[in-house]
Amino acid sequence: MTETAIQGIITGVLMGMIYALIALGISIIFGVMNVVNFAHGDFVMFSMYLSYVLGTALVWDAVQTPLLTFPILLIFGLIVYYLIIDRTLRQLYVVQLAATVGLQIMMRAAALVIWRGQPRALQYSFIQGNFEIFGFQVLTSRFVAAVISLIFIAAVAYFMNKTWAGAAMRAASDDLDAATLMGVNYHRTYALTFALGSALTAIAGGLLMSFQQTDPVGGIRFGFLSWCVLALAGLGSIPGLIAAGAIVGVAESLQVTFFNPQGRLLAVYAIFILVLWLKPRGLFGRK
Amino acid sequence: MKRPKLLNSKNIAILVVLAIAIVLPLFLRTNQYVLFLATTVLLYAVLASAWNIIGGMAGQLDLGAAAYVGLGAFTTGTLLIRFNLTPWVGMFIGALLAMGIATLIGIPLFGFKVKEVWYALSSSALVEVFRAIFMMWNKVGGPTERYLPFSAEGPRSWYLMRFNTYVPYFYIMLALLVVVFIINHRIRYSKLGYSLLALGEDEDAVEVLGVDSRLCKLKALMIYSFVAGLVGGVYGCIYGYLHPSFFSTDMSLEVVILGIVGGMGVTYGPLLAAIFLVSFREYLRASLSGMFPGKGLEGLYLMVYALILIVVALFQPRGIAPLIKRGFLKLKSFVGVK
Repeated sequence: MTETAIQGIITGVLMGMIYALIALGISIIFGVMNVVNFAHGDFVMFSMYLSYVLGTALVWDAVQTPLLTFPILLIFGLIVYYLIIDRTLRQLYVVQLAATVGLQIMMRAAALVIWRGQPRALQYSFIQGNFEIFGFQVLTSRFVAAVISLIFIAAVAYFMNKTWAGAAMRAASDDLDAATLMGVNYHRTYALTFALGSALTAIAGGLLMSFQQTDPVGGIRFGFLSWCVLALAGLGSIPGLIAAGAIVGVAESLQVTFFNPQGRLLAVYAIFILVLWLKPRGLFGRK
Repeated sequence: MKRPKLLNSKNIAILVVLAIAIVLPLFLRTNQYVLFLATTVLLYAVLASAWNIIGGMAGQLDLGAAAYVGLGAFTTGTLLIRFNLTPWVGMFIGALLAMGIATLIGIPLFGFKVKEVWYALSSSALVEVFRAIFMMWNKVGGPTERYLPFSAEGPRSWYLMRFNTYVPYFYIMLALLVVVFIINHRIRYSKLGYSLLALGEDEDAVEVLGVDSRLCKLKALMIYSFVAGLVGGVYGCIYGYLHPSFFSTDMSLEVVILGIVGGMGVTYGPLLAAIFLVSFREYLRASLSGMFPGKGLEGLYLMVYALILIVVALFQPRGIAPLIKRGFLKLKSFVGVK
């Protein structure tokens, strides 16, 4: 019993790191631009399909595919920003949300048309298998994915704190007018933020493809999971994001282990609602 | 501003459309497909008009329509299967249940000032959560369809609300639409309506003026969920079975699209949008089903929907209703009527 629980916790924490990486994308977009990208989960789904296409065409391993999907998603993010997001910045927020909801439907629909709505998976990745720590089984693929996620989260933190572009993003987040006066071109900063946030899903997509399949509806689930992580973490705290990712991952994994795997979203939803009611700014939020 | 009379020139135009709608089934009697299409259009128009109260007026992007529809359908259907209670009563119990659950969720949600994206997320997750619950709850739902009892002829068929033809469903939906229109019209020009409209623009300013925004939003949510629950009861009877797939995110999204494309806060907007978009969807389904096997076709019309939604959001955020109004006025001046 305890052993099963610990086993579930280990799997959950490792999965949680990927959720944290996905949530980091919406966190910087929401935090810097105050724009809600409802389609973020579908960006993940889209990257997974892209990984599948590239992985089968080039006979690459899933873990390698982000080398190509990252730049593709970066460009895709730029296009989406200039075509859609940039025009909704001054609109009522319902309209803004509606535009990204449209984007979400569009991406899911494209996946339905192109891949007929069938789930797709790649060949077994070379990081499959498992190893043992203190008598507990750890899946190598999850472990590698978690480590890579953490590396990228750290890289983004470095970028935000130590580079000029990162400083511009944080300045635009704190006070847009003051930042503009200091010579920050906010259109360009926003475009970069949105592209970076979208491109992070490419990493997550490649890692997820190494051990699971993708289907068009998966985007809704990833979107909800990552918003839940963000609600738990609050804005502006990267350690908080990692902790929140772990909490959500563990909740999901324990629900699957001890109750019904079909209701895997129930535990996450319960956390989401409780956090919204009791701690609307998240457990670790800065603002 | 006083509430305009219910019988002004615009509403008379609507009444004329209504009269056409009432005689329509008499001519379409032989063509069940067209009748089914018309019923579906009305069903979505009812849902989108109800959404208009919380989404269009109060500016809360509610993505939970299918949750209330599903609850209504399951309550009505289960009462019929288990206790042989007629759907004519059951649908009201289902609507009350949907409203009760919406209220239970709404009180803390609005009380703790959950708004904007968080409200949209929690309502859209509600649909998925209910689907998961009903998938696991084998006594009521479960992964296999539960068929409702059927009787082809006579009073028994009326008691079960199951018919051979779509004509009765068409009239039920039409009646619901009229009721929702009147509710919309009355709210639009009441204190509640003005509060909701102002809420949609700037919530803090409304609070400063002494409006209890929580109570207003809660009222809007209650009306909306009640109507969606009612529609759900009939929805189950139209399809003749119960399945957790009734809790469908696509349905919620479609309702929102109709509401926004039609024009937020405009009473007749959703009906216009439903007439255009839903019949367009069914046309695609009928004409292209051979070319796109599997779920490809579903994707195709979703794509068109999404494109329309994005274009409307970017270039015509007030919806298509103002365009039609302008066209109507031009036509009027062209004909020479004042």
